Amino acid sequence: MTATLKAGEEVPRTRQPRRRRRGDGKLAVGAVIVGLFVLAAIFAPLITSGHPADQDLLNRLAPPSQAHILGTDQLGRDEWTRLVHAIRIDLRVAALGSLIPAILGSLIGIVAGLGNHWLDAAIMRTSDIVVSLPLFVFFIALVGLLGPGTGFLFLDPGELPLIIGFTVISWVVYARLLRSEVRRVRSMDYVRAARLGGLPRWRVITWHIVPNAIGQSIVYFFVDVGLAVVAISTLSFLGVGIPIGTPEWGSMIQAGRNVIQTNWWLIAAPGAAIALIGMGLALIGDGLDDRIKS
Amino acid sequence: MFGTVKGREGRFVVAMRVLLGRLFQLILVLLAVTLVVFVLTQIAPGDAARLRLGPRASPEAVSELRHQLGLDRGLPRQYLAYIIRVLHGDFGTSIDGQHVSSIIGQRIGDTLWLLLGTLMFAVPAALILAWTAAWFRDRTVDHAIRLGVLLAMFLPAFWVGFLLIRLVAMPTGWFPVADLGSGPGDLIRSLVLPSVTGAILLTAILVRSLRSSLIDVLDSEYIAVARSLGVGGSTLIVRHVLRNAVGPVLTLLALNVGYLFFGVVILEATFNIPGLGSALVEASAKRDVYTVQGITLLFAAGVVLANILGETVVSMLDPRTVST
Repeated sequence: MTATLKAGEEVPRTRQPRRRRRGDGKLAVGAVIVGLFVLAAIFAPLITSGHPADQDLLNRLAPPSQAHILGTDQLGRDEWTRLVHAIRIDLRVAALGSLIPAILGSLIGIVAGLGNHWLDAAIMRTSDIVVSLPLFVFFIALVGLLGPGTGFLFLDPGELPLIIGFTVISWVVYARLLRSEVRRVRSMDYVRAARLGGLPRWRVITWHIVPNAIGQSIVYFFVDVGLAVVAISTLSFLGVGIPIGTPEWGSMIQAGRNVIQTNWWLIAAPGAAIALIGMGLALIGDGLDDRIKS
Repeated sequence: MFGTVKGREGRFVVAMRVLLGRLFQLILVLLAVTLVVFVLTQIAPGDAARLRLGPRASPEAVSELRHQLGLDRGLPRQYLAYIIRVLHGDFGTSIDGQHVSSIIGQRIGDTLWLLLGTLMFAVPAALILAWTAAWFRDRTVDHAIRLGVLLAMFLPAFWVGFLLIRLVAMPTGWFPVADLGSGPGDLIRSLVLPSVTGAILLTAILVRSLRSSLIDVLDSEYIAVARSLGVGGSTLIVRHVLRNAVGPVLTLLALNVGYLFFGVVILEATFNIPGLGSALVEASAKRDVYTVQGITLLFAAGVVLANILGETVVSMLDPRTVST
């Protein structure tokens, strides 16, 4: 990809592809947005006042003021505090709900791409069926009937079903991506050369095939985290998944719908947070994509 | 993928062959779906008979109803009985004693209207945007459309819906914000905002893949030939480019039907429309197993049917896509 340069020689500026700079811009903007959200989640107690469940019953549905930057909700809880604490829940569940299917799906995709014909066919037909099912509808049915369940390790009630659901839904994407990439890379000259050179098979796979096949799924991972945030909040808006009352963006919007005429910011703010972090993650993904392709 | 068309089989014959092959697949997938849906009832907490009769019913009454519902038989027999009932169009009764099939009958109209409305906005919008992006490929317009479409995928549909209600419906009073109207005028007015909301997301999904298929068409040799023969302007676009882009649009729509159904569930909850989606959400909150089962099965069957229909139509339009 890059030409060899002698020591001290500079890359001529004109030879730098234009795309690369564009990708860097998107990456930077995305990273700043996501970074701010992550920092806000870590330092939530420092930038907010009190606990997200604290009620100020004399000050219900208060408009934005010095004491309450985004006003208060029907129970007199500070909207800004809830908004910031919600990052912890949404981002944690979304990250886990994308990381687990990413790892699982990638492994399956690598096996399908390297494995024998029958194994490959079996994996691909399974993924065909998974893709053709209305999985989110199943999810509403299943979690609605089963309830949020109990906590698990460091997860709160309602979070484990979401993570399992996302795993079932999105492993397919990674499996398909890696399968086709592995097949492409497998027939490249450098892989053949490595094999002819006597490298053991596992070494060829881990050193040459996987690192060159994994790019697109890293791109998709960032997009997927953003989509998971949207999905988590949508499901809790529908009353499925994260229990009502938890500071979570979707259920905050659901709670604010009755006062949409007067206290519209109770709906506008959490939705803007969802859209903003989703876009930040999408920009990171898109920037990485530009970089890989340039 | 691109098998050759054997002999002089007409398009119709090819399409029938595809249809028959797919019907077999339909039966398999539907069996799998009924199995999943059946498992729903098994793992749902609580006893269906106990839920119906309430906590104060006598144990005798509960076991009597269990026997009536067939809950005391073995699982394979229950599953078989369930399939036979479904084949007869009997989806059981809801907790309130209504037939699930009649609930579906009352609710399906609104859902179909919403699907239609969303498609009416999304397909033209996607075609125009994808077309513009493909035509101005790698220029600023293209980059702007691609970025806009990427970001639109992260707008939560229910939030967009509420913003439209607050910013458009409430100040102007033009659009009713709950239920679908009954007269044709009211119906259309009440469909506008939900359809636009649903279309934003669907358009975003469609444009991303449609752009590259349009570019493939534009780069193809037959377009170059048509151009060299002096075909240009609207004739070129309608007869050569659009006709070859119909296939990808249909395939994409069929692939995204499951997602589209989820979108309709969200729209119904946002705009207070009593369709199948809100029935599903209400029923699952009430642990109304049979209603959840019936609606889920219907949505699943809809997805499978849409896929088969899409593939059949595409193969009629373009016999090259028949897989062998």
